[in-house]
Amino acid sequence: METLHIGPSPMERAGLGAGWGCEKRGVSSGGWARGWAAAGAERAGRRARRSPAPSPGAELAIALRDYVGRETPLYFAQRLTNYFKNGDGEGPQIYLKREDLNHGGSHKINNAMAQAMLAKRMGRQSILAATGAGQHGVATAAVCAKLSLDCTIFMGDVDIERQSSNVILMKQLGAQVKSVEGTFKDATSEAIRNWVNNLENSYYLVGTAVGPHPCPSMVREFQSVIGKETRKQAMEKWGGKPDVILACVGSGSNALGIFHEFVRDEDVRLIGVEAGGNGIESGKHSATLAKGEVGVYHGSMSYLLQDEEGQIIGPHSIGVGLEYPGVSPELSFLKDVGRAEFYTVTDEEALDAYAMLCRLEGIFPALEAAHALAYLRKLCPTLPNATKVVVNCSGRGDKDVATVVKYQQDRAHFPNI
Amino acid sequence: MAPTAVEPAAAPLLRPDSFGRFGKFGGKYVPETLMYALTELETAFHSLATDHEFQESDKSQNKCNTLAWWLDGFGQARLGQELGPPYVHLCKGERFIELAFLGTELEGILRDYVGRETPLYFAERLTEHYKHPDGKGPHIYLKREDLNHTGAHKINNAVAQALLAKRLGKNRIIAETGAGQHGVATATVCARFGLQCIIYMGAQDMERQSLNVFRMKLLGAEVRAVHSGTATLKDATSEAIRDWVTNVESTHYILGSVAGPHPYPMMVREFHAVIGKETRKQALEKWGGKPDVLVACVGGGSNAMGLFHEFVDDKDVRMIGVEAAGFGLDSGKHAATLTKGEVGVLHGAMSYLLQDDDGQIIEPHSISAGLDYPGVGPEHSFLKDIGRAEYYSITDAEALEAFKRLSRLEGIIPALETSHALAYLEKLCPTLPDGTKVVLNCSGRGDKDVQTAIKHLEL
Repeated sequence: METLHIGPSPMERAGLGAGWGCEKRGVSSGGWARGWAAAGAERAGRRARRSPAPSPGAELAIALRDYVGRETPLYFAQRLTNYFKNGDGEGPQIYLKREDLNHGGSHKINNAMAQAMLAKRMGRQSILAATGAGQHGVATAAVCAKLSLDCTIFMGDVDIERQSSNVILMKQLGAQVKSVEGTFKDATSEAIRNWVNNLENSYYLVGTAVGPHPCPSMVREFQSVIGKETRKQAMEKWGGKPDVILACVGSGSNALGIFHEFVRDEDVRLIGVEAGGNGIESGKHSATLAKGEVGVYHGSMSYLLQDEEGQIIGPHSIGVGLEYPGVSPELSFLKDVGRAEFYTVTDEEALDAYAMLCRLEGIFPALEAAHALAYLRKLCPTLPNATKVVVNCSGRGDKDVATVVKYQQDRAHFPNI
Repeated sequence: MAPTAVEPAAAPLLRPDSFGRFGKFGGKYVPETLMYALTELETAFHSLATDHEFQESDKSQNKCNTLAWWLDGFGQARLGQELGPPYVHLCKGERFIELAFLGTELEGILRDYVGRETPLYFAERLTEHYKHPDGKGPHIYLKREDLNHTGAHKINNAVAQALLAKRLGKNRIIAETGAGQHGVATATVCARFGLQCIIYMGAQDMERQSLNVFRMKLLGAEVRAVHSGTATLKDATSEAIRDWVTNVESTHYILGSVAGPHPYPMMVREFHAVIGKETRKQALEKWGGKPDVLVACVGGGSNAMGLFHEFVDDKDVRMIGVEAAGFGLDSGKHAATLTKGEVGVLHGAMSYLLQDDDGQIIEPHSISAGLDYPGVGPEHSFLKDIGRAEYYSITDAEALEAFKRLSRLEGIIPALETSHALAYLEKLCPTLPDGTKVVLNCSGRGDKDVQTAIKHLEL
């Protein structure tokens, strides 16, 4: 696999290198005009070395344990496993990495917590963020309240309606929510615009592994705790590694969070599942890696859904958090070098998987995570007996009950409702 | 065979005694048809406590001779096998019988499914908020039961009872629910264990809580509307009991709190006692000592007993329960059973309850559904009477303020029930010496309550 070592990362220069050092980098994301991160991180590093306070690593570890509730369990889904057994009683063993149990209800807080602490060390009081499903917004609002930082969340008006329960939570946590015409991609553009107007005092807290360098690798590092825990727990539980890791892919933060630890383990299969919406031939989907072409978007070069004129195609998915026309540059790279496989599932298949996990395990998965679960239907029949499959259950689905209920009349999935 | 009574001299120390009494409270005031089911339940509970996989590797670390005492179906104390930690908690002295239920299977489920152990979180900004001008004040820690799967402490008990039901060979589960939280927790564990689930809910409540109704149905439960009476919780409870009496052979009734007939108060307390056990261990790790003050909200009393139980014998640990004062204690619209109630029998147990002069149950009120209960667990009544625990009450308005306060200061949205305990900190903290360690049971998250809060607060 191609490796480019480009010297110490901004994080390493800031003294955050231990355990988070980016020793290996793939294709570089687009250049960065004004070294905001480098300069700010430098200052944070100097400040950190001067102060007698606990190291950033220790402070973050405590917050992840006591505030966020890590480590999250690696849960053996007995009934789901039984469900996918064939006629001979054989089939893979399915484990769920329970990111739904985090404070706030998703993996988003791993990154939000770390970045908010970084911002505080950089002396920034005002945090800006963009959110699609609202999970990143809720996570950011929560950590800002805890760290007494001002918080402004940008959200598309379409999303505000679809995920209104999360909007209420953000406001309750003290954040200001600004409505932007459109969806997540438009909210992101607006957030960046606001940030650029106030670079000195504000901090743009990116929620996923996209954007200009160092955002993708920084977010990946903060999410990589998921994969690290998984390795340790797999060793404890069955004395080995996972054989297959499954995660949904919107922009890629939860997927990279669990993949990253295992990228160098060639015997671990990495599978990302994108949103197929109404079907990838319908034009109404978010399957960037399946259907996109390479271009520059929101500061980096990656696959993206664009038409012949290079205009962004509006994506669609019932999993609002997957609805993004771009994708992490690192996932684009892993696809191109063949290290990870990417597939899609439709809205209907995701809804089916939502119902399946509720009925079989009493867990409401986020509709985003339901995409990864839905792929089990195609995957399991192909796997040898006792293959260890780990699915990243990236969030809980309380926010989606209303959506699921809205579809109930057209679907045959909930006969007793 | 006639039951053998335990000696009266032992009674005050036994919580509960063989008849399920905590002092004069508790007992089994139920129709004859349910007596056998309750006895069978108790036996199954105790058999689970002694059923474990004794790990050879633990034996070498076993420094103490821990002996399992258990009560057989006739209330006679019997010596069980020699067991090592962490499977059985030692009873103190010969007569004081305490069983910690920690079967291997349950431990695995609590860890991997529920997400235990829950953190003991130092609430820095909340602590700062309560500091005096000279910078002194107590240290406030939150026991994060809100991080459990389904968002509250309720699941600790629900998973354990579901396991118990399976052990009894009962595949049909019933429960009643008011706002739906206990119903959702029950439906959750039934889905997990593949049990048939029927939830009784007042028709009025079903209308007000339609989202929870959908949740239960998505989990595969059947939700039966109850139209009798006021079509609310107490009517749903009566209907559930009626079902149980009729189907007792095939059905287990998952009671959600430390109320009801023996063995429920003891059993539910034991299932929640993990909260207090973890707290002791975490307190030792964090500051090398015990909590000085424990604070928890009290509706039926399960989360409070879960936190308190571990420390009842530690006389230097103060225990404070906070009930719902609704519109105020003098308004007649509250649920402050231990402050304003009188002793009587409700739902199978003798305890304090809100009743009028004719012995009719007074309809309680609280902004939080989980505290909106006219009774209280018999063990709380006992702890109050012997002066071991203190009980106060907080109004709706004070609870709403606390709801907002924790959200803004710590980024944790607490359940409105929990907010009652948090609100009491306003009165408590000014009286505490510098450095007092306060542990508050953050019994649930408040996502379910934001709509209610918006109606009452200006955001």
